[in-house]
Amino acid sequence: MIRKLFPCFIFLIFAVSATFAADTTWVLKQSTLTYHVSHPLHQSEGTSHAARGKGICNDGQCDFLIAVPVKTFDSGDSNRDLHMLQVTRGAEYPMVTVRTKLPESAANQSTIDADLEIQFAGQTAHYSQVPFQVTTQGNEKHITGTIPAKLTDFKIEPPSLLTMPVKNEIPIRVDMTWAPQ
Amino acid sequence: MHLRSLRSVSVFIFVLIFVLTSLGLAQESAATISGTVTDSSGKGVANTKVLATNKVSRQSAEAQTDSEGRYTIQSLAPGDYEVTASEDGSNATGTVTLAAGAQQTVSLTLAPSQAPPQSLPSAPTPQKTEPQQNEPSLSDLGFAPTETKANPREQALLDKRTHMLKIHQRMGLITTIPMIATVITSLQAGGHKEDSATRDLHVALGSLTGDLYGITAYYAIRAPKIKGTETRGQIKFHKAMAWIHGPGMILTPILGAMAFSQKNNGEKVHGIAQAHGPVAIVTAGAFGAALLSVSFKF
Repeated sequence: MIRKLFPCFIFLIFAVSATFAADTTWVLKQSTLTYHVSHPLHQSEGTSHAARGKGICNDGQCDFLIAVPVKTFDSGDSNRDLHMLQVTRGAEYPMVTVRTKLPESAANQSTIDADLEIQFAGQTAHYSQVPFQVTTQGNEKHITGTIPAKLTDFKIEPPSLLTMPVKNEIPIRVDMTWAPQ
Repeated sequence: MHLRSLRSVSVFIFVLIFVLTSLGLAQESAATISGTVTDSSGKGVANTKVLATNKVSRQSAEAQTDSEGRYTIQSLAPGDYEVTASEDGSNATGTVTLAAGAQQTVSLTLAPSQAPPQSLPSAPTPQKTEPQQNEPSLSDLGFAPTETKANPREQALLDKRTHMLKIHQRMGLITTIPMIATVITSLQAGGHKEDSATRDLHVALGSLTGDLYGITAYYAIRAPKIKGTETRGQIKFHKAMAWIHGPGMILTPILGAMAFSQKNNGEKVHGIAQAHGPVAIVTAGAFGAALLSVSFKF
């Protein structure tokens, strides 16, 4: 009798755990996104803490979406922020969105190489194998990394100061904390 | 050099700079629409007439597409435009809002004329990737509609603001040249000779500085303000300096004219006119500080 019930018991546990795995949802708890702009006369950074994100895992595959309003990036200078908003067409395309697909097992690794699809300034750019570091704190995952973005990826004309344009490279530092819902 | 020829040279320099500046500003304010006219298969349509019509004044300008379907319509005044292209019973219509000096792209795809007019955005269309089932969507993230909704009017305001402030920046840089020259010539302008040529040159350069400063200030004052923006950072210092160099640029020539008159009458500069030099130095200093405050991070 026990021999007959044991496989049924194992199957039941497997089925229940599979059902839960199919419905795993991750939510972005905290984030700091910082872009860095280089100009021959000075360097500047703009930071946003307003990103929101969600990840839905199904069959061992997770789809993540992170979005942040362009307006929320603060460089500490309102004039610079308005210029940034203008050159990135931030009023016409108010959101930056990032999509990525990751295997559910990636949450247990210390490094993730993610393929990112970023929509920004009315353009879509793809970045392959962007490395992110993952640390676990309780049930939360802390993810850090840098997206090697360039102005030309989004057809943004480099803004200039005193007739000197900024560098094409605008690396974006990412610092996020995710937690299961 | 004789006094008269010096004056003539000064006037000539002033007129030349004024004309060049005006030409430059006129070029800056003209806007351009460019793009491509394609057929339904995506192939560029050559030799098609493209018409841009101002929605308010109904003034129009036209261009013809090249062999690859590209067109450019230049020298347009700022405003809302309807852009149309037609070819053999097919047509396409797009709309665009032009800020002064803007370069907008309107690409048109010809469709049979029975079809309703096609309204195309003025900026490149994002390659939208539709979320598949189970993928999170933007609406899942709980942003307010005001945060995610496009605002073309605000974008046009931002474009105009940036355009005007670019001119402000350039004119500010140009103004520093005669301003420095005015300060340098001031060292000799207070001489005892009644017909000091340097004094006349100083006056001419000072006048030129004042005019260029006026143009610089105009583009800063008239640049559109964006609602809900709190002034923060170094731009606050830049604006604060304007409260020093602005009144200074009014006071300095008044005091200078008084000092000039006293000198020409063979008198020693006296009374309030004595403040001409110190006021000018404070004004130039505040102007320089304003310029540096937006050039370097400190």
